[in-house]
Amino acid sequence: MVLEEQIPQFAAWIGPALLRYAAAASVSLLVAAILAWLAQAIAHGPLAAGDRVYRGLLAGLGDLSLPSPRRVWALARLAIQESLRRNVLVVLALFALLILFAGWFLDPASVHPGRLYIGFILSATNLLVCLVTLVLAVFSLPADIKSRTIQTVTTKPVRTSEIVLGRILGFAAVGTCLLALMGLAGWAFVVRSVSHGHTLEADDIFEVADGEGSPAGAEGRTSLDRGHRHRVTLEAGGSGIAETAQGHRHEVTVSGTTAAGEKTFSVGPASGLLEARRPLRGTLRFLDREGRPTAKGISVGAEWAYRQYIEGGSAATAIWTFEGVSPGDFPDGLPLEMIVRVFRTYKGDIEEGIHGTVQVRNPTTGLRGESLPIVAREFTIDSLLIPRRINTVLANGELQEVDLFAELVSDGRIEVWLQCLEPAQYYGVAQADFYLRAGDGSFALNYAKSCVGIWFCMLLVTALGVMFSTFLSGPVALLATIATLMIGQFREFIARLFESQVTGDATIVPGGGPIESLYRIVTQTSITMELDQTPAVLAMKLVDTILLAPMRVAAGIFPSLSSLGTSDFVAGGFDIPADLLAAHACETLGYVLAFFVAGVFCLKAREVAS
Amino acid sequence: MIQEAEKASQPAPRSEAGDVVVETRNLSKVYRDFWGRSKKIALKPLDLDIRRGEIFGLLGPNGAGKTTTLKLLLGLIFPTSGEALVFGRPATDVSKNERIGYLPEESYLYKFLDAEETLDFYGRLFGMSPEERQRRAEALIEMVGLSRDRKRQLREYSKGMTRRIGVAQALINDPELVILDEPTSGLDPIGSREMKDLIIDLKSRGKTVIMCSHLLADVEDVCDRIAVLHQGELKELGRVEELLRVTGVTQIRATGLSAAATAEVRAVLERHGAADIDIGNPRSTLEDLFLEVVRDTESRPGRRARRPAGAPDATRAG
Repeated sequence: MVLEEQIPQFAAWIGPALLRYAAAASVSLLVAAILAWLAQAIAHGPLAAGDRVYRGLLAGLGDLSLPSPRRVWALARLAIQESLRRNVLVVLALFALLILFAGWFLDPASVHPGRLYIGFILSATNLLVCLVTLVLAVFSLPADIKSRTIQTVTTKPVRTSEIVLGRILGFAAVGTCLLALMGLAGWAFVVRSVSHGHTLEADDIFEVADGEGSPAGAEGRTSLDRGHRHRVTLEAGGSGIAETAQGHRHEVTVSGTTAAGEKTFSVGPASGLLEARRPLRGTLRFLDREGRPTAKGISVGAEWAYRQYIEGGSAATAIWTFEGVSPGDFPDGLPLEMIVRVFRTYKGDIEEGIHGTVQVRNPTTGLRGESLPIVAREFTIDSLLIPRRINTVLANGELQEVDLFAELVSDGRIEVWLQCLEPAQYYGVAQADFYLRAGDGSFALNYAKSCVGIWFCMLLVTALGVMFSTFLSGPVALLATIATLMIGQFREFIARLFESQVTGDATIVPGGGPIESLYRIVTQTSITMELDQTPAVLAMKLVDTILLAPMRVAAGIFPSLSSLGTSDFVAGGFDIPADLLAAHACETLGYVLAFFVAGVFCLKAREVAS
Repeated sequence: MIQEAEKASQPAPRSEAGDVVVETRNLSKVYRDFWGRSKKIALKPLDLDIRRGEIFGLLGPNGAGKTTTLKLLLGLIFPTSGEALVFGRPATDVSKNERIGYLPEESYLYKFLDAEETLDFYGRLFGMSPEERQRRAEALIEMVGLSRDRKRQLREYSKGMTRRIGVAQALINDPELVILDEPTSGLDPIGSREMKDLIIDLKSRGKTVIMCSHLLADVEDVCDRIAVLHQGELKELGRVEELLRVTGVTQIRATGLSAAATAEVRAVLERHGAADIDIGNPRSTLEDLFLEVVRDTESRPGRRARRPAGAPDATRAG
């Protein structure tokens, strides 16, 4: 699983986040007030405009105070009835159809079938739920204003805030029900799709003997089901395991004997397919090929700089430092799990994988454990249990068995060193790729947490749609919502693009702003080629900067739906951290509150009957 | 529920100085385009006082500013200048709506709701308890004659039925002030008469009614006072009977007068120097004739109306 940014502790995150929120809210309010004053000043003159804006502000704030729950519920109920009468439940049929035909294009023989199925289901659920609530939200209020039904509502003792809040809550309730139903159906689909069994026939097994010729057990392979089979290792008694394939394994037990005296075997259900690992992640640093500390590993030319590479057959090392390691949490040793990517400069034995070593070290004393061999297989999570009793290498080169926590852990800190053994081959790693498996959460709960993430997205989209629908017509509100979400989606890119534009540093984002990009497309000029600094080009860059400035401001404020998504965690088999969920909840609440307030002011300023 | 039309001519209860329900001062409205340019002067500065317990009619041709005035009173649009006070509060204050019932021009209601759901919804907006909502909805559905259609969605309703449920929603909160925009629009003569009776009934229960219409007969039948608007400007304001009274002409009505007696009356009038004497049978209204025929047909189904064509109904005409 890719984790580009470290997940902050909620307690440390919330303070600065609230400050940023307050700053953004103040600036937005000020800008809105200035715009309102300008608009009024054109029609009524500057003084009267000031008075109107002030009165409007007071009226809006008064409207926001203490909405009546009964009226809000009445309006929410109306929104629900409207959705139902608009046959919103048809979307469930569409979802059912998707599930029915999913089997056609989801390959059960893929490397990670669980990830594939979960990713598909959660994406489909997210898309459908958000789309449905968005369409409901943006068309409802404009339709009421157009058909003038709003007049019979606003002539009742109903505050504008109640109309906006009722709409948001009503459509969110519809979305919640859809999400719950889709989530349950999706859960059943995933569990039933990935659960499978194998058979193990006596003919597929052959006895193995130990060095002295006495029977030591048996080996063999299971039947081919869902595009894969497992290598089986049995102990002398008959029971054993079907080894990891496609990210899971099975237990094998002797179920009886046939009349001919042959054993029959029973292969248990898959374990390790639907998991919610709780990782303890560390920080990563590198040593270069001479063993000197370096900020980064080697780039192998991949544009995406998430993973850094270390060279094989050299002193290049990737070092993770884990903190908070205690024997209470890891009584049997450290269950290290790792994703090691490989970059080959020659093909070698493609079946074999690339050999390397893992070593644990005490960060304070420098005492190191003996090197443990690993073989990096691409696209799988390898696991390695660093035992409680481990040999350490003394200064004279001798080995001495010690207790891991007594000798190699210092103040709860321990280092894990990774090296690649094969010259001219490279290991690629990222900080999140090595972790200690601190425990396992419930997969069902994790799936539910991911649905909560989708719920946040749905709530945000609904509030945004309702906000735009208070002053725009339905189709325009739909476009505005999508545009806002697009800017939010690409907010980091826009920030980098603006920085590149202002500093003139084309290495940040090559190709320039919108006008320059258009010019390059038309004249077929490569984005890496610098344009001559003619007055026309300078003017073009200036216009680009002016165009990008408001986008940069918007990108700093608008929400990014993908940042609220947590389906990667579930699909990757990782527990969604509570800190992350809490941060997302606050972020969603903050946005919904802002959209609600903006919606109230916009609707209040509008003559609904003109 | 049809009541005697004479009720309409009864004087309104005497209003006291503190009984002004609606007050407009210099109220005007100019519709502007996107660029703020003046598009239409919908209402020129208007000063009005409407007192508790009266039926006030806004009269005028299409586009005279009647609906604009009502919308300004309801806070649905904002005045360009001046102010409107309802129950002493600014028109934009939503709390005034607790005491107001409004029937818009075309009963803008949610088509996907049925009659019960509609009244329940509007009842909820007034914060009414479930029992009260149910009781009021039951009574109002009964009153507007939609008992058999209470479970049908409004999209299936005829225009007259939509109007009736519109009236019911306007009265859900038992309002003190009822604002009716073209209340008889879309109604057949029976519905129209029932609506007028209802308006008179509201008045008899101490409610204030403001209605606007371009149907002069409706206004004449029910209103105590009227304001005539034309091109956004107030042209006439006063009590109906005073405005309509023709001075210098005397009308005498009688029943059971023989031809000889009629000739004698004419002679007496001539002797006293009366000019333009007109003695004959008065005309009934087409509305009265229609209602009579319908009532008769309903009491004796399948038979032609009893009253021969052209025969005057002395009772009603007298």
